[in-house]
Amino acid sequence: MLKMAGCLLIMSAGSFAGISLARNYARRPEELRNLITALQMLETEISYTATPLPEALGRIAARCDKSIAPLFFKAGEELRAQTGCTAGEAWETALNKFYAISSTLPSDLAILRNLGTVLGISNGEDQCKHLRLAREQLKGEVITAEQQAAKYVKLWSYLGLLGSLALILLLY
Amino acid sequence: MPEEKLFPNNKPEPWQEILPVLPTNLRRLISGLPQPVLAQLEEIRLRQDRPLMVGQAQNDAFVSPEGQLLTLPAGAYLVSGEDIQRTLQLVSGASFYALEEELRNGYITLPGGHRVGLAGRAVVEGGQIKTLKNIFSLNIRISREVIGAATPVLPFLVCRQGICHTMLFSPPRCGKTTLLRDLIRQISNGVPDLNLPGLTVGVVDERSELAGCYRGVPQRDLGARTDVLDGCPKSKGMIMLVRAMAPQVVATDEIGRQEDVAALEEILHAGVKVLFTVHGSSLAELAGRPALAYLFRLNVVERFVLLGRSRGAGTIEDILDGKTKRSLWR
Repeated sequence: MLKMAGCLLIMSAGSFAGISLARNYARRPEELRNLITALQMLETEISYTATPLPEALGRIAARCDKSIAPLFFKAGEELRAQTGCTAGEAWETALNKFYAISSTLPSDLAILRNLGTVLGISNGEDQCKHLRLAREQLKGEVITAEQQAAKYVKLWSYLGLLGSLALILLLY
Repeated sequence: MPEEKLFPNNKPEPWQEILPVLPTNLRRLISGLPQPVLAQLEEIRLRQDRPLMVGQAQNDAFVSPEGQLLTLPAGAYLVSGEDIQRTLQLVSGASFYALEEELRNGYITLPGGHRVGLAGRAVVEGGQIKTLKNIFSLNIRISREVIGAATPVLPFLVCRQGICHTMLFSPPRCGKTTLLRDLIRQISNGVPDLNLPGLTVGVVDERSELAGCYRGVPQRDLGARTDVLDGCPKSKGMIMLVRAMAPQVVATDEIGRQEDVAALEEILHAGVKVLFTVHGSSLAELAGRPALAYLFRLNVVERFVLLGRSRGAGTIEDILDGKTKRSLWR
């Protein structure tokens, strides 16, 4: 009886680990695509209406997909609080929080971090150039993320279950 | 005269309103200054690698790293490049791209009507200033509303047709704008003690200094019957206002260019009263400027008000009759 319970526990833990790893791979291209759309919105806010950054970030947080909204919401909130932090610092704080809850990888983080260093500190034309560059780089990441998703989503979801079964057999 | 404010506001002290644009280390230094100094604070000057300076009503002083006031620059806190960059970011609300016009003009208006003057390297394209770069010098000017500043002057400006065509003049930092702002407010609301009914006032606020508009919303109380044309060149704005808003009085700041005087001449003959300010310390000095010399030849200004600092900023030194040039003050 105790053995049965142990087996069940190993199996469910293994499948859960596999599924969550697989889900990370599946979610990453989606999040990256949403980030690209949000950066496109930010470019529009900057180039057409010259909306001040704290307000623009708030608007984007309200309109973008909820998987990435915390990034823009937190950065806008930090700036609106007028604690004396710069746009770069607000972005960095928001980015660190976002990274912990998202499926993005360090390579995606590096692109977004680079963008943060120039955010809000130059004229509209220059801001748009940087936003476009970040979008292009993220598009490159989308391609690799999709390839990885195709490869690893199924693999990990099966591997979790099968690996736990193998472990059970070994233990028996 | 008891003053009743039409738009009561429980705002923080003016110096508190500019704290959010300072980096935290400078915030600490400034807010640690003694209360009487803060109450008189007129400007904070930041120059890269130079001592932190504050301007008060009577004199300038330097601030030490411990937050003490010093009369000599030795031992004062040196403003770093990082301080300047952070201040610029905070002043711009982290949105330099939204301030291209302001950078061209060399100043940024803050919420509360305060302004930050900028100096650095101008980028010139086709003879026009495109923007400023390498900004290393900032002057944060604290704007104050002095309710009742115009009360002693107003009886001299009221005439049968309402109010006189009036020119306020003084060197910079003597309180012209503050006086003009209160004149506008009182004329717009009306002064029952002087039998002055409220008049419709049109204000052309080219530099966003009178109404202190922040993103188009006036931050200063200019009275109930006042319309503000913000950021508009004076020469065009005065004529636009007369046509569009039918004001009885047109008020504007810092007349000096030829086209300003031409526009002024046009509305002086349109049955509208004008209130305006000019930089200068005497009538003779003003007459030396070609555009103003022409205005004097027209002989239409009915009152000249000279301001000074003999008893602090905003001291009324003299009020002259336009025709006789005789003093009416005291």
